Amino acid sequence: MLISCNKLKSHIKNNEDIDWLNIWNTFTIRTAEVEGVKKVGDQIDNIVIAEIVECVEHPDSDHMHVLKVDCGEAEPIQVVCGAPNVRVGLKTAYIKVGGHIDGMEIKSRPLRGILSNGMCCSGRELGISDNHDGILEFPSDAPVGTDVKDFLPIDDIIVEIDNKSLTNRPDLWGHYGIAREIAAITDHELLPLDLAEIKNDKQDLEITIKDPNLCYRYTGLKVDNLKNNKTPLDMQIFLYYVGMRSISLFVDLTNYLMLELGQPMHAFDSRVVKKIEVGLANDGDAYTTLDGVERKLTKDNLMIKNGDKYFGIAGVMGGLDSEILSDTDSIFLESANFNAGSIRKTAVALGLRTEASARYEKSLDPNMTDVAIKRLVYLLEKENPDLVIASNLTDVYPTKLEEGHITLHKKLLNIYMGRTLSDEVITNMLEKLGFKVTVNADSYEVTVPTFRATKDVKIEQDLIEEIARMYGLENFEAKPLKLDLTITEHETIYNQEYEVKHLLATKYDMHEVNSYIWYDTETLKKLGVEKTGVKLLGKSENNILRDDLSFSLMNIVDTNFKNYHKFNIFEIATIIENNENKRMLSIILADDEKNIETIYMQAKSIVKYLFKILKNKEVIFTNNVNEKSYYDASLGKVINIDNTKLGEINVLNKGITNKLAKKKVIVCIDIDFDKYVTITPTTKLATEVSKYPTVELDYTIIMPEGAKYDTLKQVLSEFKSNLIKCYSLVGTYENKYTIRYILGSNTKTLEQKDLTNFKDRFIEHIKNNNLSIIE
Amino acid sequence: MEKELESLITSLKDELASCTKEADILNVKSKYVGKKSRITEILGNLKNMTVEEKRKYGSLINNTKKEMESIIASSLESLESKANITFDDTLDYDIENGSLHPVTIVAKEVTDCLKKMGFTVVSGPEMESEYYNFEALNVPKDHPARDMQDTYYLDNGMLLRTQTSDNQIRGMENYGAPLRICAPGRTFRNEDLDANHENTFFQIEGMVIDENISIENLMYVMQELLSEVFKTDLKVRLRPGFFPFTEPSYEMDMSCVICGGKGCPTCKNGGWIELIGCGMVHPNVLRAGGVDPEKYTGFAFGIGLTRLAMMKYKISDIRVLNSGDIRYLKNFDIK
Repeated sequence: MLISCNKLKSHIKNNEDIDWLNIWNTFTIRTAEVEGVKKVGDQIDNIVIAEIVECVEHPDSDHMHVLKVDCGEAEPIQVVCGAPNVRVGLKTAYIKVGGHIDGMEIKSRPLRGILSNGMCCSGRELGISDNHDGILEFPSDAPVGTDVKDFLPIDDIIVEIDNKSLTNRPDLWGHYGIAREIAAITDHELLPLDLAEIKNDKQDLEITIKDPNLCYRYTGLKVDNLKNNKTPLDMQIFLYYVGMRSISLFVDLTNYLMLELGQPMHAFDSRVVKKIEVGLANDGDAYTTLDGVERKLTKDNLMIKNGDKYFGIAGVMGGLDSEILSDTDSIFLESANFNAGSIRKTAVALGLRTEASARYEKSLDPNMTDVAIKRLVYLLEKENPDLVIASNLTDVYPTKLEEGHITLHKKLLNIYMGRTLSDEVITNMLEKLGFKVTVNADSYEVTVPTFRATKDVKIEQDLIEEIARMYGLENFEAKPLKLDLTITEHETIYNQEYEVKHLLATKYDMHEVNSYIWYDTETLKKLGVEKTGVKLLGKSENNILRDDLSFSLMNIVDTNFKNYHKFNIFEIATIIENNENKRMLSIILADDEKNIETIYMQAKSIVKYLFKILKNKEVIFTNNVNEKSYYDASLGKVINIDNTKLGEINVLNKGITNKLAKKKVIVCIDIDFDKYVTITPTTKLATEVSKYPTVELDYTIIMPEGAKYDTLKQVLSEFKSNLIKCYSLVGTYENKYTIRYILGSNTKTLEQKDLTNFKDRFIEHIKNNNLSIIE
Repeated sequence: MEKELESLITSLKDELASCTKEADILNVKSKYVGKKSRITEILGNLKNMTVEEKRKYGSLINNTKKEMESIIASSLESLESKANITFDDTLDYDIENGSLHPVTIVAKEVTDCLKKMGFTVVSGPEMESEYYNFEALNVPKDHPARDMQDTYYLDNGMLLRTQTSDNQIRGMENYGAPLRICAPGRTFRNEDLDANHENTFFQIEGMVIDENISIENLMYVMQELLSEVFKTDLKVRLRPGFFPFTEPSYEMDMSCVICGGKGCPTCKNGGWIELIGCGMVHPNVLRAGGVDPEKYTGFAFGIGLTRLAMMKYKISDIRVLNSGDIRYLKNFDIK
């Protein structure tokens, strides 16, 4: 929202000591965020009011004229001008030689052979309107020779306030409300508005509210005998500076009131107004709004109806046939108040957010409607001294909004503030903002003005906010929390996640990625995989929530294959499985196909290492019967800890892998992190180390064609001897597997006969299991 | 005699100098101090000498033998310690390194700092109910934040949480008052992607409930946090804001580090970045969490972790964070 400081000044008494350029930093930290402050009018100078005293056609041009203008100097000055509206007697803006427009100096120069000393200016050239159809036309009583900046409010400061930060402040959607804040911040007095007095000695207008829950108030007035529909220049400049186009006095005044008070208004052509009714639309009706667009209505849209026809979408936009015609001398003024939620829904549903709807959405004060009409009539009367009030100020207001009352307890205030302020300070702050305060021993009785009572200020804490911001947030002192020695670790999941991430990134040089919670539709299509699951409403792409973390990362795998022939990534993230949130750890190893064995074994050892180091648990891998067809059916492994499934290792099947990249292999580890977190690390008790030496014995076993280590592992596990300290697989070559035994005793040094005995038994055991051994 | 002894040492040294192998030294050793060596012979002759000669040469001969033995020993030692392997010791390979996501690193810094102030880290679900995401947080049914265009609603009646504030209610329900929790996590908004907008990003929620908690306590925690993460004096400003779940509500901005506050697309040319939304917990929220607002007050805050990471690492395009592109991510390393 754009704010004119000239306008604010008109509402604040003795405002000369306010620094209008810099007050906005304070405004930002007291009230609402200011996005920009800029001076306007400072790029022009030496422009005065001048009267055209002579006007002849330029001999060498079909549209230019040679003028003599009187600008208050001894002799009239010759100026060449191309504007169509030049005529003797016209008072216009004349820039002297040496003056500046847009920072550029104006010089004497010949135009088609005739010297032009300075220039007559259009509104656009002065930066005060976008009108460039002709030069400015001042009223006939404008004083010749006067600097235009003394005659018109051209020098101004325009401030942009972030609309979002005004969401909760319906009172700040007009200049008057902003002026109230500035006055309170700078300790000045806010001037009352000049209003017209309207005697209710005529007929009421016919106005009916069908849905008092949606339309809280409707105020109307008919005004006749309006002869002047021309907007004064200063109002035009104001409207232009704050981003509105000047149309005609009647329309401009309604906009002016919206910008001043925040109250949206409408001026209808009285000749077409029959009787006004506010009620809901019929489902499916079509209606063309002022902007010429036909819109489909629903039964949720609140409408202004005229007779039996729609006349406007309440609080959003008028209809095409409600437009005011230029030949009218009678207008019907509407000033109404609607339910904020209803207006917002209608505006959103129709895709039509207007200046009016933006304000109504904020819950405007319904007690403003009649004030706005009285204010508008006051301003209208200045341009139309002979206007006639043709009706009563008709006011349909079923339930009047009263002022609010809040008891603010000093104890609570002091807790929040961390300090005690005097009654006088509190009272002054609140009263400056329009509240009324009665001081009691332990509390304040605060009366909330209706412009703050619609939704913004309801409870004690709302008043504390007012006091805290007016006191100045920069005046608070940051104070540490008091010492509390209670141990507060409630959950360990975050720490455990970090621990795992850190280990993967440091020990295995992996890269952590972040992804989306939904499957990438493009990637699913590319891989030819269909997924079902929980869906996002109202979206047709990327709308299926993932139930397989690793598989959902395939778009990231795809991205990285473009730059790397091998890489490792991981993520800990949420999947949705059986309608429940589930935390998963996914590790993906991607490499050339020829390295499948290496990275598959690496995947297994990563899992083993993770559980050994962080949980002190041994992993048992079992074969996985995988229902997911995109994984290789024979290479899946289940990760088991203490006989519980903790996750899986899978290899993306070759067909799917080929769609991502040729001759590659992708190994995926998925670990159920919710379960992982609940595993308590086993505490291993100290074991006594024998003081007698141990002996290492290596045996190489020859496996039959097609047999796997699993078979051997089983055979080895069945071989018992109390000499075995431990044994492990130390290497393979083709079908030969080398096992290393470490033998020893806690009571003696082993003798040759012990070893021979062990060896004989072992070889026999191997042979009994139909395996051969290199002796 | 003295001359001979001296020449023995000199010639020993000479021979040792040309030895390159242990065996050579051992040969020299047996030749000079072995049973058949000249010094052994001289020592053997000592018994035939006069008392006067014995007095004169006894210790000299003995010392000479000791010296020769020690020369041989140190020669052996220096041969052992001499590395016989030659290699290019100036080779210098690049190291491989893994990386943590910048959001993870920043989250760690923030949680570490909060932990020092007594906070515990908790977490809540990403697929959340309307109750925890809105209702219990004092966001009324017709509030704009609940509109379809901002929130991802799901076909099972749930939604993707729009903020980590659901942890406020869950935290109070689970642990009661007094309370000091923080909760980093992923959040979702229905937004079109561009350099400054993501539909999936991270926040960290914080909440403190106790007796006599004030706005000043809130300020302390916020300031400590930012200075800890950025480790420089930052320009920050606190200004009034509006959130349904806090009253009063504040926004904390920091000067944009991408442009240094001059104005750029990241800060929408304003020079300030909205980083933290915070405020005193609304009494309705305390009640929803089963905490008595007559007894307790508290504050809560939500920090845009993704935004924070962007500021810390001067990332100008938010989209790279969820791209998974290793070329980009590997720069962030571990710390």
